[in-house]
Amino acid sequence: MTGTATPAHGATKPVRVRRRVPTRTPHQAAKAGGGRLGGPLAALPWALPAFALVGVLLVYPFFRSVYGSLFEDNGFTSSYTGLDNYARLADDPVFGRSVLNTLMWVAGTLLLPVLAGLLIAVATHRMRFGGIAQLIIVLPFAISGAATAVLWNFMLTSDGAVNQVLRGVGLDSWAQTWLLEWPQNTLAMIVASTWQATGLNVVLFAIGLRAIPRETVEAAELDGASGWRMFRHITLPQLRAVTVVVVGMAIVNSLKAFDMIWILTKGGPSRSSETLALSMYRETFRLFHVGYGSAIALVLSAIVVASSWMYLRHQMPDTGTAKS
Amino acid sequence: MSGSRHASMDRRTLLVAAAAGALATACATAEGLPSGEVAVLGDSTAWEKPMTAAGAAMKSVAALRLVPEVNPSLESFEQIVRSSLRTDKTPDMLKYWSGYRLQDLARTGGIEDLTGQWDRAAARGWVEPSLREAFTYRRRVYGLPMNLAYWVIFYNPQVFREHGIEAPQTWDGFLGACGRLKKAGITPLHGTAADRWPSFIWFQEILSRQDPRFYQDLMNGRERYTDPRAERALRTIASFFDKDWFTPMDLSHTDAAAALVRGTVGMVACGTWLGSTLAAAGGRPGKNLDAFVLPMADPGARPSVVFESSALVATVKGPDRTEALKATGTWLHPTVMKAFSHTLQDGCPNPKVAPANPVIAGLAEKVRGDRLWLLNRFWEQGPPELVEATVDDLAGFLLNPSSYRETLRTMQDRADDAWQVWREAEET
Repeated sequence: MTGTATPAHGATKPVRVRRRVPTRTPHQAAKAGGGRLGGPLAALPWALPAFALVGVLLVYPFFRSVYGSLFEDNGFTSSYTGLDNYARLADDPVFGRSVLNTLMWVAGTLLLPVLAGLLIAVATHRMRFGGIAQLIIVLPFAISGAATAVLWNFMLTSDGAVNQVLRGVGLDSWAQTWLLEWPQNTLAMIVASTWQATGLNVVLFAIGLRAIPRETVEAAELDGASGWRMFRHITLPQLRAVTVVVVGMAIVNSLKAFDMIWILTKGGPSRSSETLALSMYRETFRLFHVGYGSAIALVLSAIVVASSWMYLRHQMPDTGTAKS
Repeated sequence: MSGSRHASMDRRTLLVAAAAGALATACATAEGLPSGEVAVLGDSTAWEKPMTAAGAAMKSVAALRLVPEVNPSLESFEQIVRSSLRTDKTPDMLKYWSGYRLQDLARTGGIEDLTGQWDRAAARGWVEPSLREAFTYRRRVYGLPMNLAYWVIFYNPQVFREHGIEAPQTWDGFLGACGRLKKAGITPLHGTAADRWPSFIWFQEILSRQDPRFYQDLMNGRERYTDPRAERALRTIASFFDKDWFTPMDLSHTDAAAALVRGTVGMVACGTWLGSTLAAAGGRPGKNLDAFVLPMADPGARPSVVFESSALVATVKGPDRTEALKATGTWLHPTVMKAFSHTLQDGCPNPKVAPANPVIAGLAEKVRGDRLWLLNRFWEQGPPELVEATVDDLAGFLLNPSSYRETLRTMQDRADDAWQVWREAEET
């Protein structure tokens, strides 16, 4: 009944007309592009600073690296060599070791801090003084990566705390040169990184646990679920959203692992503990193989983007292309 | 309303001011320090005080003050130097390395020719003449020596006395001292691959004592790593491992200095610049701290010692170029050198300035008295890219001493490539 209001000609008294409430669908709004406001381009001035920032800080450096990786560049002179840098990657044993170490970091960081975080969060949830226990576990996360590395250096050197404790309790044969030999140097650093990273995961899982509706838990309890069954069929599925975030962050963090390794071993000895991030840094900034370093950076970028994309696509199908 | 208008005007004014500031910063040309002051960029915080002292002394000699600027990260220091040298935002002066690293920098055309300054200083006897080669590129001098550190073996005389050991005068005496320390339950030698670069130390020390001529030729690309003489040096080091004479390979120099003073490690091979670290660990020169030059293994070879000297460099595009050049003219002046080396507690390239530290003074006397052949350190010998890679190879050897043949082959392959690149660049 929001009919058009026809002027009542000749009427002595103006007729009260119900005004039409203009309703606009988003579709119509889009059509009204010719107006001063609300057109599709109207948002552009507001988005420009963001575009400019992303362009200058992200897009340009990325394409500059792609371009740079096609050159033999020592920082002073450069010559075009096409895909030579990529061909060299295939023959470089240090690059192969770096890829392997990077994969170890991804696997280790996925397994250890995520599992430990989940375990600790579940164990301390509803526990008496659980909050205090969680706080203690979260504390290392407040320390910077560099400081953590210095701390672990005291523990992992041949005369360090770990070996002294082992020798003290009679386990002399367990004492190792933790940082000097591959693969134990990489494994030891993954453990050190786990010590620090677990705290954040505990917080995230604790938040997830608190978000589980009480009714769901009570209903499951009425159905006789408890212990492992409760965890397997109620808690874990309810934590899915948090787990997606935690695992996603773990993947990206492990791929860019740098400060811990740089301080503890500088990627050595003999380049045995380098990851892709370290190899890129060393080639570019220590050896001044800028083009070759760019090629490594691109391989690392490709791995980061591909793994993140595959993971998110797999974990969050709803956010993919909407099927009509 | 008016309030909000004011607020918006304030915001606008602020934005305009910020934009103008950003533009001004972006368009600004390099500005140097005020007249009478020149900045020197270095990579070591330990050099900040000595540089300030030298700057104050220079004020009295040349009415110029040197102002130290430190970037303690080796990596970012090198990046700043290399990336800024072609621009007018480059530092006026630098503390750089001698040898091939300096040559590499001179090649860029970004640093000043200081031959005149060197010649004038040499004519007055202000500089050790045999150091010249380490600062020369294509027969021109591109840096002036700052310190003069000898590579020696530090030891604790109290510990030596307790076990009836004397500072060795011969190679056999050195081996004997190691054996006696080992028997006494003291780890005789500090060996390390921690922090990457120290991996070259024992190779450098042993090779230069077994055959200094071969060391010099190998480092300058005239001999091959696969030569039996290089193999002999690595086999000697491997024999030290067999006798269990080395500390764990992840013991840093700082920890080794403390262990030496405490008496749990017998000898530490390092440049005399370790003196300040040893002093900080409680070492008192002459009492519980002394040093000797590792004796020659081949008595027939020319007696030698490895040295290390940083280079004071002036840049071509630095904003205070004229003053920087003036400063280089007086850098080697005894007053400036004395203030610098006495604060640094290291050796001095000006023979007229006696080192303040009695241990280093004794070493300098021996080096000059015995006319030891000064060989530049491994780190400065050879194309930087080659050195950076070969220290990793040597680290691999230290962790697996039986791999010496393989290590030498790998090092030679690298050397072939690196020297080819270096020589090609030389021709262009």
